[in-house]
Formats: sequence, structure tokens, C-alpha cells
Amino acid sequence: MRLSANGFYVEQYRKCCNCGILVYGEGVRNPEHPKKLYCSDWCVEWRTSKDRGVADPVLPIKQPKLPFEAAYPAKGERIAPYDLVTMNILDSTMVSVCREMGILLMKTSYSTIFNEGLDFTCALADAKGDMIACAEFCPTMIGGMPLLIKTCAQEIDFKSLEEGDIILHNDPYRGGLHCPEHTFFRPFFVDGELLGFAVCIGHIAEIGGMVPGAFCGEATEIFHEGLRVPPVKIMKAGKDVEEVWKLLLANTRTPRQNYGDLRAMIASVELGCERIAATVRKYGKAVFKQTCEDLMDYAERRMRAEIAEFADGLYSFGDTVENDGIVNKPYRIEVDLHIHGDEVVADFSRSSDQAKGPISATLGVTTGAVYNGMFHVTDASIPKNSGCFRPLRVVARPGSMANVDYPGPLVAGNTELHPRLANIVIGAMSKCVPERSMASEACTSMNFVFGGNHPEYDEYFACYDLMAGGWGGRLGHDGNDCVIAINGNCRFNPTEVFETRFPLMVENCELVTDSGGPGEFRGGLGYSRTLLVREVPITGSQCTDRHEIKPYALFDGLPGGNGSTLVKTANSSDWKTVSEVYGKVSTSKYANVVFEPGDRIKLTTPGGGGYGDPKKRARESVLEDVREAYVSSQSAETDYGLKG
Amino acid sequence: MSLLVGIDVGGTFTDFVAYDHDSGRMEAWKVLSVPTDPVVGILNGLNAHPAGKTAIEHIRLGTTVATNAILERKGATVAYVTTKGFKDVIFVQRGNRRFHYDMSWVKPKPLAKRRHCFELDERIDAHGAVLKDLDEAEVARLAEAIAADPSIEAVAICLLFSYINPDHEIRVKQLLGEKLPGMPISISYEVLPKWKEYERASTTLADAYLKPVVSRQMRAMRARLNEDGVKAPTVVIKSNGGQMTLDGAADSPVHLVVSGPTGGVLASCQVAKATGIDHMVTIDIGGTSTDVSTIIDGSERLTTGFEIEWGVPVQIPIIDIRTIGAGGGSIAWIDKGGMLRVGPQSAGANPGPASYGRGELPTVTDANLMLGRIDPNNFLGGKMTLDRARAERAIASVAEPLGYTVMECALSIVRIANSNMVAALRSVLIEAGLDPRDFTLSAFGGAGPVHVGELMIEMGIPRGIVPNNPGQFSASGFIMSQARVDRQRTTQLTSYRFDRDKAADVLRSLVDEAIQQLRDQGFDDDVKLTKQLEMRYLGQNYELELQVSDEMFERSEHEDALWAAFHDAHKSRFGFSTPGEIIEIVNFKVTAIADSPIPELPRIEKASAPPQARRHRLVTFTEGEIDVPVYDRDDLRAGHAVKGPLLVEESASVTVICPGQNLSVDDYGHLLIENAAQQENN
Repeated sequence: MRLSANGFYVEQYRKCCNCGILVYGEGVRNPEHPKKLYCSDWCVEWRTSKDRGVADPVLPIKQPKLPFEAAYPAKGERIAPYDLVTMNILDSTMVSVCREMGILLMKTSYSTIFNEGLDFTCALADAKGDMIACAEFCPTMIGGMPLLIKTCAQEIDFKSLEEGDIILHNDPYRGGLHCPEHTFFRPFFVDGELLGFAVCIGHIAEIGGMVPGAFCGEATEIFHEGLRVPPVKIMKAGKDVEEVWKLLLANTRTPRQNYGDLRAMIASVELGCERIAATVRKYGKAVFKQTCEDLMDYAERRMRAEIAEFADGLYSFGDTVENDGIVNKPYRIEVDLHIHGDEVVADFSRSSDQAKGPISATLGVTTGAVYNGMFHVTDASIPKNSGCFRPLRVVARPGSMANVDYPGPLVAGNTELHPRLANIVIGAMSKCVPERSMASEACTSMNFVFGGNHPEYDEYFACYDLMAGGWGGRLGHDGNDCVIAINGNCRFNPTEVFETRFPLMVENCELVTDSGGPGEFRGGLGYSRTLLVREVPITGSQCTDRHEIKPYALFDGLPGGNGSTLVKTANSSDWKTVSEVYGKVSTSKYANVVFEPGDRIKLTTPGGGGYGDPKKRARESVLEDVREAYVSSQSAETDYGLKG
Repeated sequence: MSLLVGIDVGGTFTDFVAYDHDSGRMEAWKVLSVPTDPVVGILNGLNAHPAGKTAIEHIRLGTTVATNAILERKGATVAYVTTKGFKDVIFVQRGNRRFHYDMSWVKPKPLAKRRHCFELDERIDAHGAVLKDLDEAEVARLAEAIAADPSIEAVAICLLFSYINPDHEIRVKQLLGEKLPGMPISISYEVLPKWKEYERASTTLADAYLKPVVSRQMRAMRARLNEDGVKAPTVVIKSNGGQMTLDGAADSPVHLVVSGPTGGVLASCQVAKATGIDHMVTIDIGGTSTDVSTIIDGSERLTTGFEIEWGVPVQIPIIDIRTIGAGGGSIAWIDKGGMLRVGPQSAGANPGPASYGRGELPTVTDANLMLGRIDPNNFLGGKMTLDRARAERAIASVAEPLGYTVMECALSIVRIANSNMVAALRSVLIEAGLDPRDFTLSAFGGAGPVHVGELMIEMGIPRGIVPNNPGQFSASGFIMSQARVDRQRTTQLTSYRFDRDKAADVLRSLVDEAIQQLRDQGFDDDVKLTKQLEMRYLGQNYELELQVSDEMFERSEHEDALWAAFHDAHKSRFGFSTPGEIIEIVNFKVTAIADSPIPELPRIEKASAPPQARRHRLVTFTEGEIDVPVYDRDDLRAGHAVKGPLLVEESASVTVICPGQNLSVDDYGHLLIENAAQQENN
């Protein structure tokens, strides 16, 4: 990482050529290839072994450390024994503080993506930037959190922080996920000592850029995707930094909404600091610090115990993204999970080079996706703090689909590639623990964004509309129908709310028969909505996938149904793709299509893949599926072999 | 003798509390429940009262009919009717999932089969304008289709935007009613005239789903009471804590989804009123679960957040009670990371805690026994002897791997159980923007009094109270209830070009509806009204509730006061406000209460001498092992005051008062606890 001499701008984002983490300072060189930069000896050794043809190197994990972390003293011997009761109380108190921060954010924010979609996360971090607690809101962000804070710690001297400072940051290349995801963190002090941070990450729907709502399906550079904010103080010692506010709000189409959302996020981290500082005063600083360490060690032990139960080995899996919106060619994502003892290395090196269009992932996204996938196959009650990440190491080659280089576009990496990456981690684990795995889910949030001038309020509106498809089948259960992709936990917008806020009409909301991939355990169904543009034109863009390549099946099941986006213009009677009507390269990723009054847009989500041979499905289940029109009688006959 | 009887039908026991209007005395008793036929338990209990059935003047009943039908999914086969294109809304639901990271989760199914869903080609828009007229011929065909399926027992209708314009729904109900005589029909406008189609549909479905079973059972119960010579008028307790006649219940059964558990909160409200306490947080700790609720300014809090199971909402107003899986039977265990955990698995009633003599696993009750807090020879008033050696063995099984002594481990188990309950208290207090220092903790249920003292200290709640009959507290709440109707409707208005006349109209019609509902059921007492608006900044999605006066919307200066009050409320709840921002009114709410007289709590004798401890016992606290006095609750008199640590025993429970806490007894015999040394709260 090379900043200008005065620190005002980035001259070069320098990354480890093996794992892809930003390298501040000198880094490590490999004598055999002196031009290559590494973050650590571990990465030199890992890459060298792989280059020599060792398929499954056995190398105990060493987590990369930024220079500022190395300055912290190594963990000393514990003096007192673990206090299980204090650990329990403090963990539950800190999680409750995070939840309280989230409730405040949900109740006071303006964008539907916050208050209906719950697309945010609240957490607490210690002074080293390690996450010590978080509440369950949006899982993508949980994995990205430690990287985000540590990057800031490296660039902003924590010793210069004062009570009431709030740092804002959204740079995707510096630990971030994509530009809409804004991170706020506020330090908390007790008796003048910096003890940590209250953190909140949230999706700001409209941040300027080429299209309203940031999801530009045709972006080829980060500059098309909205305003990028390096770590800056939006508040200093409790006072607004007006210049920063004005810059931010001048670069959005919806300043009133953004102002409300930013205020809500600030109120949330302020509340978090107030609560956690009171908690520290109650238990004392020494007990607090020690207990946080104990809690992280405990989460680490829990995660190691889970991994130790998996058979050692190399488990690989991959999937295909159909196109990137710019070039009509597929991209591969590949993971190699190296499980040895109680540790896992997830290596994505075999993935395609990064895309021209906005579908590649940042390192934060890929790291979060690995955590997310592994959480799905381990005990869900492990406390989510930095400790449970320690036995997991992510290797994401820079310039690849799994680690996009500046200035590559990436807005859909967070929403579309994260679920795909997490799914292939689970897919790889299906070869190790088939009973804990699932066939591919729909893996898309559809990400249809649109904006226009509201005829009633005389104000610009922007909407991020979310939909979801089916889960994959899993041992013992069919996939759930219409559940949000694995990277979020957002809720759909009710039609009555949607039509009250936006000058469009929703004409239907229907499950798609036969979209669940046939299997002994069937994939879940996708659904379809038709939007009618009413009084005013809207400008729409979209970043989705699975229009051409179906969600994969496992263990002899059949894949799930494709999604689609079809348009019927006011003067036409046929449904056509955006490629057919507007000449777009991709039917699933496009930008700035103007839909006129009377036009209809039909959005259909994919189903999930099937698990197991459909011929083995219980006859009564197939019959009930036909009675309930989940499966057509034709599919019952051809796919499930139902006769008579 | 003229008795008012409150009855709470539970899974194991049916509890009774009778108040005698003539003497002002109150008495409590219980009989075994008969789960297959709850009326038998009710009649057995009534027959057990020596005064005889003729002395009974009025019966108020907490019923589990609706709760059980829903939990066991044993309601009617319902036909669901909605706007064309939208029958799958109830299957699509809201798209979120219950747990992160749990691949075994199964999304819940709605209360209707997909093959019983029907659509009508009609449409109303977001302003209430009709875009497509109702086709009455299509409704006639729908009636035929429903009639052709003999399995259908009820109909639920939820059309888009009916909360703004109910004309189509009302007409469909009328037409179907004519063609399908006797068929129970629920329409969303009557059940829940609020926006968000999935939530409204789900609530309407629940009403239709319950109608056949509840009306059958209500009729049968009245007939059986009559046969048995119990002529007293009988009402059931609704989810909002109000009374409802048996006929009223048959007409809108969805209001019975939670009935029994409201009693403890109602009773706490009366205790709060009698003792002059403004804010109370109630905790009812049983064997397997703990219920927590708050009382603010003397009134219970309502929520519309009830769910049949996760993701299947029933948004009628219910008393806001949070339940967690922690109780006396919660099992202590060690996880893979070496952490001592307590619950959520419970030993339940069978095998029960190790000390009950059947189970092997250590529970919270076993830990309390080891710590000397529970007397093995005086459990349930001496009806049961606990096996201390067995409890010790059970606890040793987790103490040894942790390197703890049995007593250290027992104390840790109790403190971790407390921590779980504190998490529930935090969720209803701090996470809801309430300061625990303003509250009094009201503890009841078998184990509530055992934990009250430590919970006060851990949570920073300065005062506590253990009411009388903590084991039959719910039933005593029912005799304190009044008839109550809550009506609400979504009508969106903004401070930008505010339509005052429309606001006044909506409020007036809600008041009329609410009063009419009380009158229709024969409640002719004076009516107390409260009116509330749910408001937010335009663009937000959650509302703050503001109480409004009767003359609100008569003059424009009231309006300005309303907007100012909203800014203030936002600032005080969330720490900031946005002056000048457009404010939106979303929901109008009216509560009408039939102001029937409420029995006064009986008083106890005044103390003439200091209380005498019956015995002393070694009890372990965080501070160490202490020899503490043990009092009998029956020996305590109004005005008694004693410094902790100490124990107060009674037949169904024991109150544990910690070092640094003081006990006093008020005129009604309530045990009042205070933290002498105030700790800073978190």
C-alpha cells in the first residue's frame, strides 16, 4: 500500500501475490522471485509449495498481521483462571449492546434497504481492531468487519483519536465490500484509555455514480459505482465535520434520505459507545480486556473443535458466472479447501481473472464468504468474534474473481458473488460432510434498482428492490421457497408499502411451478413479480445472474430453474429480454434502461438445485407437490418417474 | 357470599382465585387439569369451593383453546381469497430466514393449502381508488367452487389495500354469506385494517382457522356449565388482557391466541396501582420457561408482534410478553469450547431436576438446592422431598471437568442462569429504550422469588416485589380485568399538507367502532377511551406511539403541538430529532375499556412485634457461605422490615434476599426488596 507523502491519496494498492491482503510497509520477498511481494513467510511457503506441484500443502496457519498489530505485545501468560460466569455475562451484554444499536438503526433509518431489508451490521471491536461481539443482522458484513477496522487502524493513528470522533469509510479496496456499504466507527474510552470501537456497517442505497441505486450492471471502473470514501472523520470530538457532510451529500441523488440514514448510523455507534463504556466501568478495564481475550480464545476453541471432526483432505468445488454485463463470456470461481487437523485454508487461486464488469469480489467479500460457508457447516452457536476466524485462512489471488484489483468494478461482487463463493465452500464440504450440505441456492438478490421523479412529493426517489429464489435441497428436507440469499437476511418489500412509496404497480407475486430442481429432496421454488410503470418514467438497472446457467444439484439431483428479466413495452404484446429490446450485452446485468409509463417488467427468481436422485423421492411427496402445483404432472412423470 | 372467580387453565394444574365481594377476602386453590377436556378441570375446581356454585356471581377464564389449536395446527380447513395475482403472498412471505447459518431450518407453511387459495380479478390502488371493479358473477362462481369442496370449513378474505378502501371485501363477504349460509367468514378489514398484505392475510387466516373450533368449544362450555348448575355469566380473557363474552370469542377468536399468560401482567398492574409503583418489569419463572413483560405508568404494554411460529404473524394487539427457554429445570452442560452452559434444554417435569429422584442431569433447581436456597424438606410446602445427594452427584459431573468444587459449580450454574434471564430483561428494558433504574422487578411463578434478589443486582433494578400467591398469580389477574377493545387502522397522512378533517373522521369512526363492540357484547359500563397515533419521519419504517387528547384535530394549534411532541419523543427515545422534517402519521389507534369496578386488594394485619425467624440455614451467595434467618411468609405482618441476607418461605416458593438488600412488608403483605447499596447499572 503506497500513499502519497502527505497521505492525501493512494498511489498504489499493493497486495500480497498469494493471499491478496494489502501490504503496508516492506512486506516479504521471495528470493527465488524477487519481484513478487508477499505479506508473510507463510504466504511465500504456501505459494512455493503449490507452484512445485504440492496439491495439498500441510502448513499450520499463521494469520497475516498488519504492521500496527505487530506493534502490540504478544499475548502473555494468563494470570488468573478463566472466569466462566464473567465471560458469559459480558458476552451476552455485548451482544445485547450490538442488538440495541441495530434496533435503533432499524427504527430511525430512512432507506427501505435498512429498515425493511435490515442490510446492516452492528459490532464491537477491541483496541486492536479485533471484533469482540456482533449482533445477527447481515452476515456478509460480519466477516468483513475485522479487515475493515484493521485497515483503518493502519492508516489513522489511533493515538490521535478523541472521544466523540467518528470515522467513516467505504473503500472496497481497503477492506470494504462495495461502495454502498458504509462503515462508521467510533472509539470508546474509559479514563482516557482507548479500549475499542462501536462499529456499524450499513448499505446506503444511493451514492451517485452512473445509475440510481449504485448497481450499475455495465460499470467497467470503480468510478461508475458511486462515491468512494477513504477513512475520514465525519465527526470530530462530537461535532459534525461540515465539509465532509457537504461533500457526501452533494454526490447523491437522494440527499434527504441519505442524511437521515447517516444520522441514524451515527446515533447507533454513539449509543454503542455509551453502553459499552458503562459496562467496562462496571467490571473494570482489566477484567474487560482479559475477558474479551478469553472470549475470543473460547470461540477459537469451539471452531477448532468443529473442524477437528472433519476428515483431513483437499476438497474442491467450483461454479460458473454466466457473464459480467460487458463481455458475453462465463467466469469460473473455484475453491480448494485444505483441511488439516483443526484448521482450514480456503484457496481460490484457480478462479478466473477478474471480470471486466462489476461481478468480482473484494478480499473482504471473499473472506466473509468463507466464514459464512464454514459457519453453515459448524455449530451455529459459536460466538461470532474474531477468535472463531483464527483457524481459517483465505488465499485470494489479486486480480482474480476472488480479489478484484483497483480500479476494477465490483458492486455486484458483494451481493451476487458472495453467495456463490459461500455456496461453493458448502459445495466443497459436501464431499466431506454430505449430511451438512445443500445443493445450490438461487444465489441472487435480483438487485433491480430504479429511480425517477416522484409525482406526489416533487422529489427524486431511488429504490433497491430485492427478491430471492429457492434454497437447494438438503438431506431430509426440500429447499425453502423464496428465501433471501445466504449473504443477507433482508426482507422483501410488501406490495402495499411498495406502491405507497413508488409510482409503480405490482401486478402479481407468484411461485414458479417446476423451478425447484428435482431431487429426492427437491430444490425450493423461485417466484415472479410483474411491475407496471404508471405515471412517470423510471430509470432501471440490474445485476443478477442465473439467466443461462442453472443452480447446481448435488448427489444425482437435477439443477434448479433459471431466473429471468422480461420486458413488455406499452406498445408491444410480447415479453422480451433487455438484450432484445434495448440491445444490452447481458439479459441479467444492464444499466440505465428507461422504462416508460405502460411498460411492464417481469422479474423471476431462480429455484434451488435438487439433492439426491429424484426417482428416490417418496411417492406421497411427489403427489402432494402435484396437488399443490409445486411440480407439474409432466415433471412428476419425466423427472420423478411417477406413473399413473 | 358473592364470588368473582378467576380461572387459569394450565397444562398441569388449573388455578383458581376467588374474591368475595361481601368480605373483601381473596382465596386461591388449584386442581389437576384434564388436558383432554379442560371443562372437567374447571367444574372440579368450582365444585371444590365450600360456598357452592350458587355463590358464584361471575367467572373469568384464561383459555388455551385457541393457543392449542394453533400450536398443534388443529384448526379448520380454510379457503383463502385474495386479489388476482397474489395468492402466493402467503407462501412467499417476507423472504428472511429465522437463523443465520442454519441449513436445517424449514420455512413455515401458512394456515391454508395452496390448492385452497382463490383469486378475484379486482384491484384497488394505494390511494383507495378502484382500478378494477369487483365482478359479482366471479364471486358467485367462487361461492360454487368453495361449496363444491366439502373439506372447506371457513373462508378468509384479504384483498390488496382493503385497509384504505374496504368496499370490495365487505361486498365479497356479503355475497359469499348469502351463497354459503353458516360458513364462517373473516375479512381482513375487520380483523386487522393495517397495511402490509402478508401480515394482514396471515392474521385473517388465523381468525378463520380458529372460528369453527372456538365457537364449538365456547358453546359447549356454556352448555356444560349450565348443566352443572353454574349459571354465572362467564367471560374469557383476550390477548390484550381484556374480557370478551363467549359469543364475542366465537366471532373473533384470533383475539384468544394468548390468554392465560396475560393474568400475571394484569395482576402486576393492580399491585403497581395499589402500591403506587409507576414502572414495573414482571418476571414469571417456571420450570422450563420464563416470561418477561413491562408495565409503564401503571399500564401493561401491547405489541402486535405475535407469531404463531417464527414467520407466521398474528398482528392483533396482545400484551407484550417475551418468553425464553430458561427455568428451574434448565440443564447445565459443558460445550466443546469448555464453557459451562445452562439451557435451553430443560429436564421439564419428567424426569425433572436430578433432585426429584428420576433424572441424572444437573439443573438450576439442583444448584439452588446445593446452595441452600431451597429446603429439600420444605419443597412445595413439604409435599415433596428433594434428594440432595443426587443433586450433588449431578452437579459434580460437570464440576469435575471444569476443576470446580460442587459449590463453586452450583453458584456458577445459578449465575449463568441469571445471566440468561438478565438477557431477557435487557431485551424488554434497555433494548426498548427503558432505564432499569426507573423500574421495580415483580417476580412470581414457582422460581421467580428464588432469583429476584440476584436479578435486581445483576440488572441494576433498585427495587423488587414478590406479590401474594406467586404460584397462582395469573388467575388472580383475571379477577382484576375489565372488558377492553383495541381498534387500529392504517391511514397515512403527513404534516406536509395535513388533512385535519380526514384525521378527525378516522379517529371518530374508530371510537364508534370500539364502543359499539363493547355494547354489542353487553358491556354497558362507562367507557374509558384512549387514542394514540403511530408516527414517524417521512421515509422511516417504524413508528413512535403518541397519546392524543380528545380535541386533537379540532384546531390547527393542536396540530403544531402534535408535531412538536413527536420531535421531542424522537429525541428522547433515539437521542436525536430532525426539526423541520416532514412527519407522517401511519396508524390510528383507539382503546375502549368498560370501566367496571375492580376488586380492591385485601390488606393484612399490622405488625405489633418484630418478625421471628423459624430457623437458620447456611446459604451460599457470591460473597460466600452465610448463616441466614428463614421466615415463614404467614408470620410476616404489615410494617415488618428486616436486613438481608434472609429467606422467606411459603407453600409454592421461597424468596431469596441477598446481602446488601433489605426486606419490608407492605399493607397488602407484598414482600418489598431494596438494594441498600445502589450499584451503578449497566
